[in-house]
Amino acid sequence: MTRFKDLDPMLHSQLRLAVISLLVSTVSAEFTYIQEQTGATAGNLSVQVTKLKEAGYIEVTKKFRENYPQTLCRITPLGRQRFIEYVNSLKDYLNPEKQ
Amino acid sequence: MENDEKVMTGEESLRIISEMINRTKVNIRQGSFHLLFWGWLIVFCSLSEYLLFRLTGMENPWIVWLLVIPGAFVSFIYGYVKGKKSPFHTYADMLYMWTWIGFFISAIVLFIIMSGKMETVAPYILMLAAIPTFISGFIIKFNPLIFGGISFWVFALVAYFAGPSIGPLAVPAAMLTGYLFPGYMLKRKDHDDQV
Repeated sequence: MTRFKDLDPMLHSQLRLAVISLLVSTVSAEFTYIQEQTGATAGNLSVQVTKLKEAGYIEVTKKFRENYPQTLCRITPLGRQRFIEYVNSLKDYLNPEKQ
Repeated sequence: MENDEKVMTGEESLRIISEMINRTKVNIRQGSFHLLFWGWLIVFCSLSEYLLFRLTGMENPWIVWLLVIPGAFVSFIYGYVKGKKSPFHTYADMLYMWTWIGFFISAIVLFIIMSGKMETVAPYILMLAAIPTFISGFIIKFNPLIFGGISFWVFALVAYFAGPSIGPLAVPAAMLTGYLFPGYMLKRKDHDDQV
């Protein structure tokens, strides 16, 4: 379990990891789409999205589409870098003999 | 996914990552419209050109191909509206879109170059169409489209070498294997995935 301390705490959380994993293969995604895919409540998702935004892992932009507000999220280069590091740490943890 | 601070195991983390990444793969699979639209439009144009030439001896039967101009607008507007409505856009979507736009531009350049001898354009356009079809098959991991792209190369050779009586039929035949068959398979797959 000791190696888990090396994992980025910002990403080692179910919902934040799910959000970043969704955003890593997308150019951008709507807040409502992320909510639908993760099954999270709007309030909880909003809190986690704000944490990721404040850490500089994602960008959040607000627009209007057909008179309805639309919140778009996209991963930043820092977020992508941290995600890659997280996956590499995870691989090391799961396959320690390959190090 | 409410208990946010719950301690995750490595396996749980990997499961979340792969599950979420897999959910973003389905977007471009909904592109069967373009395959079916262009497949039928080109079957119509190529068969009309062939029949007009055979039955009426018309001097410029290739004129029916002008239908691809409004066709391009329909395709563009459909893609634009669908894209605007999509709640997410993947890098694969972008690659898919730009591959086809690249083909479209190449096709226009080819038509300009070959404008004086439009009756010989079929093998070249098939050869060109094979590339985005083949690549798209790999992008969306859909074998019928990959084989469709390969069939375009085969029919390009048929169109070039088979002579004036059979050669013109290579284009509608290629549309069946390259666009229509994969298009209907994709449509069915989308439907099955949604059920």
